[in-house]
Amino acid sequence: MATDESRAETGREAREAAAERAAIAVRPEFRSPSGGKKEKVFELNGVDVLYSGVTAVKGISLDIQRKDVTAMIGPSGCGKSTLLRCFNRMNDLIPGAEVRGELLYHGEDLYGPNVDPVQVRKLIGMVFQKPNPFPKSIYDNVAFGPRILGNKEGLEETVERALRRAALWDEVKDRLDDNAFGLSGGQQQRLCIARCIAVEPDTILMDEPCSALDPISTGKIEDLMIELKEEFSIVIVTHNMQQAARVSDRTAFLMVELDADEQNRWGRLVEYDETEKIFTNPADKRTEDYVSGKVG
Amino acid sequence: MAEPVRVQYQEELEQLEKSALEGLGMVSAALDRTLEAVEHQDVELAQLVIADDDRIDGRYLEVHQSLIALLAMQSPVATDLRLISALLHVLKNIERMGDQCVNVCKMIPLTGTEPPADEEMVKRILTMGRQTRTIIGQAKRAFEERDIEMARDLVRQDDVVDNLNRECFGLALEIGDDADKREWAMTMLLAARAIERIGDNAVDIGEQVAFVVTGLFREFEDASHPQ
Repeated sequence: MATDESRAETGREAREAAAERAAIAVRPEFRSPSGGKKEKVFELNGVDVLYSGVTAVKGISLDIQRKDVTAMIGPSGCGKSTLLRCFNRMNDLIPGAEVRGELLYHGEDLYGPNVDPVQVRKLIGMVFQKPNPFPKSIYDNVAFGPRILGNKEGLEETVERALRRAALWDEVKDRLDDNAFGLSGGQQQRLCIARCIAVEPDTILMDEPCSALDPISTGKIEDLMIELKEEFSIVIVTHNMQQAARVSDRTAFLMVELDADEQNRWGRLVEYDETEKIFTNPADKRTEDYVSGKVG
Repeated sequence: MAEPVRVQYQEELEQLEKSALEGLGMVSAALDRTLEAVEHQDVELAQLVIADDDRIDGRYLEVHQSLIALLAMQSPVATDLRLISALLHVLKNIERMGDQCVNVCKMIPLTGTEPPADEEMVKRILTMGRQTRTIIGQAKRAFEERDIEMARDLVRQDDVVDNLNRECFGLALEIGDDADKREWAMTMLLAARAIERIGDNAVDIGEQVAFVVTGLFREFEDASHPQ
């Protein structure tokens, strides 16, 4: 009798455990590895960017999490690239550009008076739409950053390590002294990524890094992004919806907003969530219409 | 400001949904004929239902192929992706419903030419069939109108079918010792069971309605853990 009771108990417990597992499986915070609490790299609170007094993006508030790939998508002119350039103070180089609001980097004000923009750009590297290697050898391209920063010791190891991490080493190890312009477009872009990571940044910003590349090269860069996020936080601007879906953990959708008389336009953040949510069940109709390609 | 784009793709998706759901109309027609064949022990009509199932299978293959092509070429996301996923499920349900009608029709020659051994049992099977037909219509409307409440109500409607099926089982148990009668009852029970499964398939379609609307899949009723 006692045995029967204990069997019944075990059965009930098993069912309860199964129910609990099922509940966990569907709770959003357990659905994705990035769903839990992660350290924040950037915190934006009400960020506006203006060019010569004209608002380009307005009221952006979002957190970028460490070792995530965060994608920013939206139609042309919605301010994705403008926003991306705020993350490493690239907008400082544009006359008349102004950033308002709070932009924290690891809890520190990125636009504080004592922050050195050069130091910022060392920690927060950038890869551009078009591969832009220097007119130098492959080796010198990667060694450029460490040399400027005075890290001349173990330079060869640094270059090899960066090229390996950029998945380019095997293709160039026998011709490191060749001019970088001799590489294919995809190789040049990976060289730019190697150059970026040679200075051991904390975050890599990518502004449409694959838009000038063929699908194979694009695939290699996407594989690379997934590997690189083990070590770096990545923020990518892309027009390629499927690329955002394939590589990113979280996606921000921005769109253009017009004032009442349709004279002025600026970028607004519409929705920011886990990528899976954005592409399977977005909360905002405007996101849905954009990711489905129903509205241009 | 915003112009609709990819209009052709949207139209194609709408047309595919329409074609898939028309499959439910085809199943309803097959079920009507099946019930008529059961009622009149009409072997010829039963053969017609069996032959016509190719049309339901053809619809399944045609729409399934087009949906796969749409997935490959249009990279649908969000509601469109959920709709396509749901339609693939619904198509399978429709194909199974057609097969269940065929299963019933295959039983008809086995019931012989003598009058039914138990009129009550036939009456219940016909009532089950008519109720199932109502359920199929409701599942179609719930899908077209994306109406979760109407979809949930399918469970209640299906309970009527399940109860009638249980009653058939009870009647079969009481059919007596005559071997021919018992064989007849067993055959009719299989027919009842096939109709009962059609109802279950319609409830599954209701669950897909909820998935399309909410993005979350939940069984309305869990057969392994009944409430």
